[in-house]
Amino acid sequence: MANSEFDWPAKSSVLGTRVNRVDGPDKVTGRAKYTFDINRPGMLYARMIRSPHPHARVVSVDLSSATRMPGVKSVLMVRDFSSAPNNRVMFQGDEIAAVAADTEEHAIDAARSVKIEYEVLPHLTIVNKALDGTAPPVFTGGNVRDGRPAQAGDLTAGFAAAAKVVEGTYSTQVITHTCMESHGTVCEWAGDRLTAWISTQGISGARENFASALGIPQANVRVLCQYMGGGFGSKALSVGAEGLMCAKLAKAANAPVKLMLDRKEEHLATGNRPSAASKIKAGVSADGIITAFDAQSWGTGGAGATADFPLPYLYQVANRSRSHKNVFTNTGQQRPMRAPGHPQGSFNTEIIMDELADQINMDPVEFRIKNLPPQAPNAMWRAYLQEGAAEFGWNKRHATGDKTPGPIKTGMGVSVNTWGGGGRGPSPAHCEITSDGVVIMRLGTQDLGTGTRTLVAVITADALGLRPAQVRPEIGDTAFGVSALSGGSTTAASISPGIRVAAVKALDALKEKVAPALGVDAASLVAAGGRIQVENDPSKGMTWADACKHIGPQAITAEGDWRAGMSSTTTSGAQFAEVTVDIETGIVKVTRVLVLQDCGLVVSRLTAESQCYGGVIGSLNFALFEDRILDRNTGQMLNPNMEWYLLAGMSDIPRIDVRIKDQPERGVIGLGEPPTVSTAAAIALAVRNATGVTMRSLPLTPAKVLGAMRQGRA
Amino acid sequence: MAKKDDAPDGLRLDRRNFFRTTGFVGLAETIASPAELAAQSTPASVGPGDVPVRLNVNGRQIDLMIEPRVTLLDALRMRANLTGNKRGCDRGACGACTMIVDGRPVYSCSTLAIEVQGKQIRNVDGLANGDQLHPVQQAFCDKDALMCGFCTPGFIMASVALLEKNPNPTPEQIKKGLDGNICRCGTFSRIFEAVSSVKGVQRG
Repeated sequence: MANSEFDWPAKSSVLGTRVNRVDGPDKVTGRAKYTFDINRPGMLYARMIRSPHPHARVVSVDLSSATRMPGVKSVLMVRDFSSAPNNRVMFQGDEIAAVAADTEEHAIDAARSVKIEYEVLPHLTIVNKALDGTAPPVFTGGNVRDGRPAQAGDLTAGFAAAAKVVEGTYSTQVITHTCMESHGTVCEWAGDRLTAWISTQGISGARENFASALGIPQANVRVLCQYMGGGFGSKALSVGAEGLMCAKLAKAANAPVKLMLDRKEEHLATGNRPSAASKIKAGVSADGIITAFDAQSWGTGGAGATADFPLPYLYQVANRSRSHKNVFTNTGQQRPMRAPGHPQGSFNTEIIMDELADQINMDPVEFRIKNLPPQAPNAMWRAYLQEGAAEFGWNKRHATGDKTPGPIKTGMGVSVNTWGGGGRGPSPAHCEITSDGVVIMRLGTQDLGTGTRTLVAVITADALGLRPAQVRPEIGDTAFGVSALSGGSTTAASISPGIRVAAVKALDALKEKVAPALGVDAASLVAAGGRIQVENDPSKGMTWADACKHIGPQAITAEGDWRAGMSSTTTSGAQFAEVTVDIETGIVKVTRVLVLQDCGLVVSRLTAESQCYGGVIGSLNFALFEDRILDRNTGQMLNPNMEWYLLAGMSDIPRIDVRIKDQPERGVIGLGEPPTVSTAAAIALAVRNATGVTMRSLPLTPAKVLGAMRQGRA
Repeated sequence: MAKKDDAPDGLRLDRRNFFRTTGFVGLAETIASPAELAAQSTPASVGPGDVPVRLNVNGRQIDLMIEPRVTLLDALRMRANLTGNKRGCDRGACGACTMIVDGRPVYSCSTLAIEVQGKQIRNVDGLANGDQLHPVQQAFCDKDALMCGFCTPGFIMASVALLEKNPNPTPEQIKKGLDGNICRCGTFSRIFEAVSSVKGVQRG
């Protein structure tokens, strides 16, 4: 790629440094307004009315009592339930109606008063019953759908070449996103124009969604999301039934309406990570090459949604076969959840890796290095494994099964990860510099909580020779132009080039204004340290504030967009975990995690590290705690809350060391997904190393650990 | 009142929806033993409609007409536009709603507003002194101890309550003091760093 003035600088005093999150003060003081915090004059509060049954036919709905309840202003059906097939509800939490009232308490009372008659139908929530054919036929076209099979090489020859063969069944559970801020919307109409505050990962998509569903031009819809309390993929796809009902209730009641879901609704109806299971038979040669990998996999993504994942994950196997079954169940549909498919693929692959390594008495790190793809800038696992092993003290790892006396056993595990990420356009950015020296960088993106505002400020400040605090990032408003949804670790790589291009162009325009006053050529000027000056000659220059005085009444404006060559795709990472296991109680404690992770050019180091901490902790939750538990008889979720849907607290957090592996020459890539892929597998392998018993199913609850140990001894 | 740092009391054991529908007077009668009941003066029945409730929040008096079932969290968020503290789980598990009442951290989602009349209530909206951040707030910013920020106000109030009671906590005391709060983004490591770095909080 030819050099251009927009290329990332070789050196920067801002880019890649430890800059405090620019919206930190707003968040720690409570000034940051999330959708949940938007209060409008005369605003009503709304609640959804949902099916308590996993599968039922709606016989009748009587809204009349609800309309007579105190404070009620509007009650609407989600759709017409009067005839088949629209009268069937397919999961607990399926939407039926919504009500708006003057207070939330009144809305809750009114929602309870709606009379719905159901004909309860046989439901399917147990995956194995669908697979063995004992489940009732629920889904038109079958409860089980075959995925696309994959084949390579010669499996028979591969097993013939194997010195050892291992077989096992592995599985991961359904978990839910459990964003701290629930899904929700505030809608306000002025005539046929809608303003919607919505907790969303994509304001541009939300605008489209509202407009098409409500039959109004997109130009009539303004979507705002200044701050959001997490999304993790669950807020990426659409405004949801609740978003549309909020808009319709507001229209019907002729008043602003806030509709925020409660915690139970979040668990039931706003997505989840599908389960993933596999029966694998794999062969290994005496010198540590995987010769054959034969897998049948399955999983459920809920009512009519698939549950695919990569298998084998990352490792190269010449001879392999894989079949997959998507099992439909009467549960809420899956949505992308942080690195969709990868944590499942990682767990289903990595466990058998250590079993194979043990069969030929090879160290797991060495075994992985032998079977990973060749090293390349986007495939750095071999180097990271070696470097990580040295730092982690891998040479102190004992063979499988801690032989030291006493009930507390320790162990270590390792795993690798990848993610595509990468950027794309259109992703326009708009830079504005006014004669008072104020710099605005404006774009229609949104901040999931990753630190997008900080990234905007850092890149702009770097280009203009300012401090990030001197830049005013403006995001989270569709009035600022179209932008892609924030998902799949694509935001940083998509928006960063356009921000730099806009800032560089704006600076060029400022140089033109300043050059005559300094009596120099504009091309000789640089911006650094809050000054515009001739390079290496501070005497021929002026401060930023003085320079901007030359702008005049018409502000400098410049546009930028994503450019190829400034972003890249595909990361590599490796993680090491150490645990203790109390073999009397089955309690697993993670004591240490080491993260080696690349993400191309680091824009903001503090927030990049925070993504790694967060990824590890999310994966630790997946490994030890989280589980959507369904009642086997009623099919209803037993833990739709945050006291029995377990998540780590402060005391569960290990020491985490993060090593960001800079690759500035690759441009910006993105980092949300990769660090959460593989910690769970490393933890499970550490438990195996500690106890000598292979844990093949997540989460690693004390009961499961004790059960596996009992079986392992038998 | 749902105290975070005490053994669960009767109110905490019961489900919020239960006392929302029965009212808090009814609840007391349900769970108290006859001996305890005899020791209490029988309170007058209030509700179910709006009743006057006077709260002292961040040193300011707030007069509301609300139903007795309205929680402290909802009273402030929906009736006083004090939206700093958040509603995460709405049943005393996630801690995003943590406020300080008479010096103790409480889950304001599981505390009725009517219960805390006459008490000193502090939420995150009143913690900073104008633009001057409280040392705990500053530490959270400096250590990047937040991501989406939705749990942050609760963590900050829990940290302030901890440090006011114990200005020099051990690592174990910090962990225990913040175990009632959940962060889904996974900022715990840096929250721990932030709270460990704070010096000079006045004993409350």
